[in-house]
Amino acid sequence: MDRRGFVKLCTGTVLTTAFSQSLSSRAGQIEAFPPAKLVKADGSPLKASEVGLNEAMVFAYPFNGIPCYLINLGNRTAHPQAMDSTDDGVFSNPEGVGKGNHLVAFIAICSHQLSYPTPEISYLRYANEGSELAGKPGRIVCCAHGSVYDPAEGARVESGPAPAPLLPVALDYDAATDGLTATGVVGKAFIQRFFKNFKGDLIERYGAGVYRQDVGETTKAVPLSQYSAVVPAC
Amino acid sequence: MTDNFNRRNFLKMSGAVLAASTAGAAMSVSGSALAADTSAAIATGLKAALPKARGPRLVVVGGGTSGLTIAKYAKKEYPKFDVVLVEKRDMYSSCFSSNLWYAGLINLEFLANHSFLDGATNNGYTYFNATVTGLDRASRTLVTSEGDIGYDFLVLAPGISYDYDKIGVSDVDTMTALRQKYPGGFISPTEHVTIHRKVQEFEGGVFVQSVPGGNYRCLPGPYERACLIASVIKKNKLKAKVLVLDANPEITIKAKGFHAAFNELYKDIIEWKPNSAITSVDVEKRAIKTEFDSYTFDDAAIYPNVRGSTLIEHLGLMAPASKSTQKEANIDTRFYNIVGDPHVYVTGDSRPHPYSKSANTSNTEAHYVAKVLAARAQGKEIAWVSPRTICYSMVNANPMEAISVDAGYDYSAEKDAITGFSKDTKTFENRDTAKGQATLEWARGIYRDMFEA
Repeated sequence: MDRRGFVKLCTGTVLTTAFSQSLSSRAGQIEAFPPAKLVKADGSPLKASEVGLNEAMVFAYPFNGIPCYLINLGNRTAHPQAMDSTDDGVFSNPEGVGKGNHLVAFIAICSHQLSYPTPEISYLRYANEGSELAGKPGRIVCCAHGSVYDPAEGARVESGPAPAPLLPVALDYDAATDGLTATGVVGKAFIQRFFKNFKGDLIERYGAGVYRQDVGETTKAVPLSQYSAVVPAC
Repeated sequence: MTDNFNRRNFLKMSGAVLAASTAGAAMSVSGSALAADTSAAIATGLKAALPKARGPRLVVVGGGTSGLTIAKYAKKEYPKFDVVLVEKRDMYSSCFSSNLWYAGLINLEFLANHSFLDGATNNGYTYFNATVTGLDRASRTLVTSEGDIGYDFLVLAPGISYDYDKIGVSDVDTMTALRQKYPGGFISPTEHVTIHRKVQEFEGGVFVQSVPGGNYRCLPGPYERACLIASVIKKNKLKAKVLVLDANPEITIKAKGFHAAFNELYKDIIEWKPNSAITSVDVEKRAIKTEFDSYTFDDAAIYPNVRGSTLIEHLGLMAPASKSTQKEANIDTRFYNIVGDPHVYVTGDSRPHPYSKSANTSNTEAHYVAKVLAARAQGKEIAWVSPRTICYSMVNANPMEAISVDAGYDYSAEKDAITGFSKDTKTFENRDTAKGQATLEWARGIYRDMFEA
């Protein structure tokens, strides 16, 4: 009841607009950035078949300081739908890629209060096997304030205080090589707000100005458990 | 008797200008009359040094969780607002998360490295460092130590004051000594610094942590603090115990999780005494009496009962005793305006609602009140939304382990009252390190929400 009230209150008008668009329309609002091929830690191309089920892989895109999650949905498939963001208006999330349309990617920054994975710790994780917070498998959960997102439904908010879904990263899949390339994101304004919030931390971690730069032609994808020293299992 | 004591006390503390306004305000407490007849006594005639308002002026009093969140989000919701945040402190330091510092889990920077100036700059409002001394609602003028400020909308978010009367301490000498030597640690940063020193320098004996009755600020706070002090005692292998004198018959929130921590982690360290409301304290002898027992202590944090900020009483905005037994504000249950005055609002811990007086409650409530203000500035109304109480308690320091609760509230239109927790309220009472880590990020998130863009 609370949630219904909240939706009515905060996003009523916007949602009406969103739903009036065709749900089958191609992902609108995704902004193209210079493509970056996903590679493994050793620099060799990452194959779609190498993306495990148990946890997200982390890669930076479109800038060095923006962490993204690559998620293997297993038997589930992604459903494009109308979405409303906090900073970047209305958009549609893209379909999954790979042979079974089972791979999706999102900017790994919680829409609530911007928790994100760092080398020290990640409060945000994909919990394939379920979690105390989500109560069911295959959800992205944020330990900080208990938000739960469903990656098969465009990472829309399932429960908790998050006001908007995680923002999508568009992926191209090359069936010939089984390779993956990031090509764009929704979230230009959101990213600027993130940079403003964490400027000091990002300068310390990447260097002044460096976190704002394009990742280049390749970007390394590593399992979250290798990327962050601590991943609390909320 | 109680009223007289408090008023007298307040006058002593606050000086002559307030004396005039207080007398006027006190007369209008029971009625709905505006304080028009006292305006001459209040107004200083000096205008605060602020730029001319470029839109409807929203003045927010209090730079705590509620005030900071409202200042930011009211501006976001309705950019035409000209927002001024009036705060008497010139340095921020949070009350929430302060317990973690006592056990060395965070440093003081974690609590205090947040600038009022940056919060205002990042979010397009003005921070004004002044103390409120009066209010003339007829002319919509707020009186401060730095001059008068006219408002279209006024939000008062002054937090809580302590009520020592309710623990039997009603002579001013004892009260002054008690709040100075054994502070509660649930209002001001200087109390936190003192308690931090007490815990770090504690070398043995009995440390008393009291838990008041009523709807006090941060329900799990005193129990969490007992756990963290016990963690330090355990680590230092001291011959010592934490004596928890609890006015309540049962632990007031997350009881299962706290009992488990008391029994499993601190069996010989924490002694929890329910139904032990303090009835008197002898500061010199370090002796406490409850209804049936007496205790002596080596050091203590005595948490008295809480009440709405004395500012609410002295501006004449206090609810009748039938509506609040804690001298909280006389506001509309859903929309927070002073009953009969759509221009003045009271939010945060001076509200009379039975909400948990916690940072997350104030933060989420403020998001909603910002929308109420934006709507009303445009002649609209919005539907009520419950605040949310997401609250972690660190029950172990080595390693960090916590328990948590995620609560909402139900409103009854029939009773025009908050009737209890909503159905989706959940508790997570099995302590673990995941929630221990989350406790830190919970706080960082709220700091970001208050201070960053």
